[in-house]
Amino acid sequence: MNPATFFPMRFSRFLTGVVFGALAAAASAQPAFTGPMPARGPVNDASLRRNQYLERRAEVLAWRSAQAKPGEPATLGLAEAAAKLARREDAAAVSERVIELMKKPTGDMFWMFPVACISYLGRDQLTPAAKAAIREAWRTYMPLRGDTENHWVMYYTSLYLMAQLWPDEPGERWFNGKSSAEISAEAQAWLLDWMKLTTTIGQGEYDCTHYIGEYAISMLYLATWAQDPAMRQRGRMMLDYVMADYAVDTLDGIYIGAHARTDDRQVLEKWNGLSSFFGWLLFGNCPPPAAYGGWGLYFAAAADHYDLPEVVYRIGTDRSGPYTQFERKRTRHRWRNSDVRNAPVYKQSYVTADYALGSDQGGLLQPIQQHSWDVTWAVPDPRGVHNTMFSVQPHYGADELMTYFTEMPDYMPASVTFQGKPTYTAPTKLLGGSPYEQIFQRDDALVSLTKVPPGTTFEHVNGFFSKDLAKLEEDASGWIFAQGGRAYLAYRPLAPYTWQPIEGGGKRLYSESRRNGTILQVASASEFKTWDDFKAAIRALPLTLATDPVPRVSFTTLRGRKLELAYGAAPKVDGRTIDHAKEWKLFAGPYLNAEVGSGTLTITHGRLKRVLDFNSVTATDTVNP
Amino acid sequence: MQLKQPRWLRALLLAAAGTAAALAAAAEPKHDLYVCANVSGQAQVMGSRVASPSGLYRSVDRQTFVPMGFAHIRLFTLTHDVREPSTLFLATLDGVVRARNHGANWRIMTGWDMTEPKSIAFDPNAPDRIYAGLPDGIAVSTDRGQTWRRQNEGIARRYTQTITVDRTRAGRVLAGTEKGIFLTEDGAKTWRLVQPTDKTTYDLRQSPHDPKEFFAVTSSDGAFRSRDGGATWQPVPSVPKERTLHNFDYDRREAKRLVYGGWGTGVQLSEDGGATWTDRTAGLPNREIWRVALDPDIPGRLYAAPYQQPLFVSDDLGATWRPLHFEKAIVFDLVFVPRS
Repeated sequence: MNPATFFPMRFSRFLTGVVFGALAAAASAQPAFTGPMPARGPVNDASLRRNQYLERRAEVLAWRSAQAKPGEPATLGLAEAAAKLARREDAAAVSERVIELMKKPTGDMFWMFPVACISYLGRDQLTPAAKAAIREAWRTYMPLRGDTENHWVMYYTSLYLMAQLWPDEPGERWFNGKSSAEISAEAQAWLLDWMKLTTTIGQGEYDCTHYIGEYAISMLYLATWAQDPAMRQRGRMMLDYVMADYAVDTLDGIYIGAHARTDDRQVLEKWNGLSSFFGWLLFGNCPPPAAYGGWGLYFAAAADHYDLPEVVYRIGTDRSGPYTQFERKRTRHRWRNSDVRNAPVYKQSYVTADYALGSDQGGLLQPIQQHSWDVTWAVPDPRGVHNTMFSVQPHYGADELMTYFTEMPDYMPASVTFQGKPTYTAPTKLLGGSPYEQIFQRDDALVSLTKVPPGTTFEHVNGFFSKDLAKLEEDASGWIFAQGGRAYLAYRPLAPYTWQPIEGGGKRLYSESRRNGTILQVASASEFKTWDDFKAAIRALPLTLATDPVPRVSFTTLRGRKLELAYGAAPKVDGRTIDHAKEWKLFAGPYLNAEVGSGTLTITHGRLKRVLDFNSVTATDTVNP
Repeated sequence: MQLKQPRWLRALLLAAAGTAAALAAAAEPKHDLYVCANVSGQAQVMGSRVASPSGLYRSVDRQTFVPMGFAHIRLFTLTHDVREPSTLFLATLDGVVRARNHGANWRIMTGWDMTEPKSIAFDPNAPDRIYAGLPDGIAVSTDRGQTWRRQNEGIARRYTQTITVDRTRAGRVLAGTEKGIFLTEDGAKTWRLVQPTDKTTYDLRQSPHDPKEFFAVTSSDGAFRSRDGGATWQPVPSVPKERTLHNFDYDRREAKRLVYGGWGTGVQLSEDGGATWTDRTAGLPNREIWRVALDPDIPGRLYAAPYQQPLFVSDDLGATWRPLHFEKAIVFDLVFVPRS
């Protein structure tokens, strides 16, 4: 995104404003955010499950509506208007306020979908004058199209719906000079192209802790308000797709593992972001974030039109046994420094009831906010807890930004730090990918190798050690042993290190060697009689490592697999060379399965199966005997 | 009682006085000056709730700048319809925009599959034909922007920053891309690499004095010049390679007067056709120059747009500078359009 403003980073900054703005307004308590932890067990009764879902939705709307104070018009913004219309209350006051709000629109695509939401919810509630004010705003205000997929999904979904609301109008009636028919055709073409890309070669902004909302809200709106049955069905199916993709990578509602984009807060406090709103609303197994994540309101506003498939609900709530889910995604569009437009991303997540370890293959897969791997452990209450461990090779630069943005190179890195990404150029950063990091995971063991060219701005590795670790011991063997919740953690740096304090708590492992790496083995405390038994088991694991001429590890994991890894070479597992390009399907695992290029996704849990076929635009449910 | 004026306002008032004096000394300008400016500040992000006065500005008197069309933070450059100069074509984040009535009435001409064009050029010898440089290739319209199609054959890495149409022959076009300068002689049906570069070519101009001469500035390879219509290129040894060069301009009155600017380079002026350069940055607030331009109508007038600073003007070729307009801006381009 964006100085001006190029970027995409815009959203989290914008979101921060939304959340804190909402918090500032929130004199009244937000029930689920401040209340006790929800019961986490799955709700088996379908009608009870639905009722609880609708109750949570109602809580969002009630709280948001209550933020509008009588006699204080400024407290009735777009979100409050949407909440009130969804609750079918105060239509006259909302209409008056909408007329005012339409006089000075701002927010680009982040303005478009709230106004689309209000327009549809208000079809039989808003006054003619309010509707006219909205109509005029779409002629006189030019929202930016944006420069990334979450922008475009908001932009085109909103345009699709508004062109449907006002059909047969000439270009003079629209900010972009195009007729309703032209807008509808263009918006549909973009949406179909995005759906095809996502269901054949993977999502671009994959598994984002915040941007998941932009996709979910947009698809919900299509599913709810598109008149074309096929488009409505596609919206519904893509929403199932996004939510199944989220469900399988969660632990008690917390989005785990590798993300295309997250932020400085949620990378540590794993629960604290918009994604957890969906965990709370759909699975009921975590608290919602403050102000329901800001944008959560706009999902809630139409959420009565969505019924999460039970198979997805089960995947999101069943942690009875460990599983590994493999996923292929794609990078954001690459404009420079690459021979391919979308490079493949190879993800995997190993999930248990006590912890989850997830990763990508390393490298620069996304600009600025990439998070390549972590272990997240289960906690009784995630609020304020840094329940994670990971390492990063801190990197930034104009080349990274030029790859993914079309801007001039030199001003970008510093500008990013003014646009809601203050740590982007910091040596202490704990967020972002590195072109000099290669990662491989098998089960609950992971090896990250780094080889940084001399003269690179930052040559070191940062390891994150939480303030919330129950144990932390440096062992003479070279392992660092720790306990988080019911997870035992063994962390092995490949090079010498020192400890640095982290503002906000915890410690940063600082290891300055250019040829470096991290080995992590996780296990459940329940697997060992004692803490000492765990440490002894780790010490006994066959391990050889070297850093010259390249970082190199041979390690037999707790699960008995021999991992052989060398920087720059394909990994080996039990002597077999892993070919990511050949082996990685779009989804592979016990719950989600899809072939690359197929346009289908099979979602299974126990006896339940749902097949989303985007070729025939059908969703088929079966219950095995 | 004397009212205290902000320093920037005093400077702007002085600038207006200077401009009036310069214009009085010059003949009636034959061009309008259009400025593509982002004035929203360093911290603004896309989706901001802060209303932005960024976008297209028109000046007919070189003193006052009137916003035209919609506010827009990513308006990169523009050209004019050669048959109808009051109709502009803008390269914007949202695609190619046709802006009629001197930029007042907008219509996005490209569709969902073309984003962020960085350059746009009409073919003066085939005036229905427009070329646009995209982050992923080159788009061509043969019906004055009504429809577009990609024509990239021969270009592997397709990021295209700058497009220049040879004014001597229809269908002869040069494109500055990520990996070099490409030439087509068949209206973009096929392209061939005429000068490789390591990184992006940011500006490419045809001499107003000698149509065989072209000049290009790059991100990592300094500058190149062609004296045979773009078929072959030679490095310009007097231009260093260490900095990103943003743009270049010829003086339309003095054949040997050239100027370039870039990130950290300041303003560099040559009076000997590029053999030597004089640093003309003194008096500007920084050396990060987004854009430079020589006024085609006012002798000796030079514009420079330092990063996040006012647009500056000099009436003595950069010996002294004064702020002309904006408080803080990124000026993506300064374009002189024939007055209609």
